[in-house]
Amino acid sequence: MTNEKTIRIDPVTRLEGHGTLTIKLGPGNKVKDIQFNVNSTRFFEKFLEGRPMEEAPRIAPRICGICPIPHHLASLKAVEAAWDVTPPPAAIKLRRLLIEAKQLSSHAIHFYALAAPDFVFGPLASPAVRNVAAVLKHLPDVAVQAIKLMEFGQELCTTIGAKAIHPTTGIPGGMLYAMKEEERDDWLMKVPEMLENIHKTVDLAKTVVNSYIEVITKLAVTPTYYLGLTINGTHDIYDGKIRVMDPEGKIVKDFEPHEYTKYYGEYVSKHSYATHIYYKPAGYPEGIWRANTLARCNVADKMATPLADAALKEMRELVGRPSHHTFAYHYARVVEMVQAAEMIKTLLEDPQIVSTDVKLSDVEPKAGEGVGVVEAPRGTLLHNYESDDKGILVKANLIVATNNNIAGIEKSLMVAAKQIFEDKVLEKITLPEPMVKT
Amino acid sequence: MTEPVPVAMAQGSSCWGCYQSLIDIHLNLATVLPLLEIKYWQCVADFKLKDLEGYPDKSITVGLYEGMARTEEDIHLLKLMRAKCKILIAFGSCSCFGGIPGMANFSTLEECNEVKFRNNKTVKDGELPTENLPAIAPVVKPNRDFVDFEIYLPGCPPTSSLILTALTALLEGKPIELPPHTVCHYCDREKKDTPIEKILRPYEGIADPDRCLLEQGYICLGSATWGLCEGQCVSHGVTCRGCFGPPPPITNDQGAAAISMFGSYAPLESEVLAETVLDPLGCFWRFTYPTSHLGAIRIKREEAKTK
Repeated sequence: MTNEKTIRIDPVTRLEGHGTLTIKLGPGNKVKDIQFNVNSTRFFEKFLEGRPMEEAPRIAPRICGICPIPHHLASLKAVEAAWDVTPPPAAIKLRRLLIEAKQLSSHAIHFYALAAPDFVFGPLASPAVRNVAAVLKHLPDVAVQAIKLMEFGQELCTTIGAKAIHPTTGIPGGMLYAMKEEERDDWLMKVPEMLENIHKTVDLAKTVVNSYIEVITKLAVTPTYYLGLTINGTHDIYDGKIRVMDPEGKIVKDFEPHEYTKYYGEYVSKHSYATHIYYKPAGYPEGIWRANTLARCNVADKMATPLADAALKEMRELVGRPSHHTFAYHYARVVEMVQAAEMIKTLLEDPQIVSTDVKLSDVEPKAGEGVGVVEAPRGTLLHNYESDDKGILVKANLIVATNNNIAGIEKSLMVAAKQIFEDKVLEKITLPEPMVKT
Repeated sequence: MTEPVPVAMAQGSSCWGCYQSLIDIHLNLATVLPLLEIKYWQCVADFKLKDLEGYPDKSITVGLYEGMARTEEDIHLLKLMRAKCKILIAFGSCSCFGGIPGMANFSTLEECNEVKFRNNKTVKDGELPTENLPAIAPVVKPNRDFVDFEIYLPGCPPTSSLILTALTALLEGKPIELPPHTVCHYCDREKKDTPIEKILRPYEGIADPDRCLLEQGYICLGSATWGLCEGQCVSHGVTCRGCFGPPPPITNDQGAAAISMFGSYAPLESEVLAETVLDPLGCFWRFTYPTSHLGAIRIKREEAKTK
């Protein structure tokens, strides 16, 4: 008989992907170890080798069904960087519209379907009700606004990308499809309702944040480094330099994507098929960083659009900068939704969005190397390809968004587990009454 | 109101895109979700594997399995779903044919591990992760080698309208009737039945928006692919890569059909073909390698090594 025990949470739920948790407790419930086991991998880096490089943007989206558009675009940017190709400005605007539309739908599904059930029904409700189907049953108005936001984002992606899930219209040198004027007009007509649903989402988020403020500010607060794209310090999800902030909140680096091997460390952990990415100059585990919504809102000096910037300021008054509050990721997600909505409106109003000059006709492959970076909803996404002189992909290195977060997730789980098992924090903090009692 | 139907939705090694496509039935969710009693859906509800294991056999009316099954855990989940569900659906092209991750079978597991874990731009001399993780099989085998399915619903992903049609029929206890046409049936471009003079890569030139892309020299798998997509790529100026697999019967070898179709369209010297069709395996068998004849030979070879 020992006083040791192992808790396995299998599978981790409300996550697209594969994970289990292994928590090892010693005598007196001392937390000895936490493992976030990511238990599947498909070897995209290997089977991208040998493919004509223009096919990579059609293959790589299959890495993630929630964020295929960032993969499509990071892949295109990597190919274009390797072949020294610059697409026409109107093509870049279509790509920006595509990624903002995806940001909107992904953040909506995350906020409403993956996260909200915990806050609506309370974290202690039965699994049979703590899910999005029950949100639909008990709060149909909230569910409808969620579905409409997801629909707006996904269907706008379909218009531009042919398919919202695994888009196909991007091509080295531009886009194979130009948005039609009547399509643009249809979308512009839908913007006011979308914006109204965004405002309702902000109101709901504020209600949740205020009632759970004790949980947000006390539980799983985990200082780490943060990374995200900015253009001269302004939040951006399509372009810019990669900015790194240290746990004290100091900006320690702004670097070009092609310099990434100097700053990205990749640690192969014993217990996860997803590797741990960290800030290489600080070493592992000291340099563990996090990406995703809160990280981007931490590293950015400001948002790119007025309402989102006001929302960021409001958030900072509550949780500061940097915010190490893991639960504040949800809040930052809503700030970013506001920005996506404003960006979509601006891009749709830009006359160039219906330009037919969206594709070069003289693209030539050449030997070279390229790095493409965009922000996926869950963090900074990097594709690095090498091309031979015929344009065949000979080497790929992919640093997908979530790998930037695996070590941070583990670190924050360790903080939470110590609070729960050693400090008995659940007996000390008061959970608000659930919005819906079941 | 009728009793909700017990359903389970499982994910093997995949991207979750098929489930995203299910979510994308949008406001129809308000009609469909209340008809379902979700017994397992890892990304949506908090039931654990133990819950699924504890249900009586055949107690779940409809099960969906997304993804291929390469890890021990995937294979366990697939067999478990078979045991618990009356109707099991191979959901999406990975589940039907192996899909995009089936291309990992072009290489050995060792070669895959080398690039992923041991040596790449950001890793030097890494060690293979093994602790508290399910083993990875030497090759991607088709799901249908492990279990029988009642229904195959291909697509990468299956479209939201296809999913809605299938779910509605199942819930009403009616057969699912799907049109058998290829992608070409849904393509408005004009075919003149002229041979391909020169093979073009998809970024070359500016395509004529009204002519068949294949006849212009852009490799397009539309005529060898089940058109359940209703031509969404070709109508956006993009060539088909075959993501819905072969038209029925689903056991057809899509890659073999596609390459022979291509040969008949492109009566070019074999040297020219060899030089300009850069990646036949990764183009014609992109979604169906594990279930193809060529892929079956590869699977046997890899498995023989481990015996």
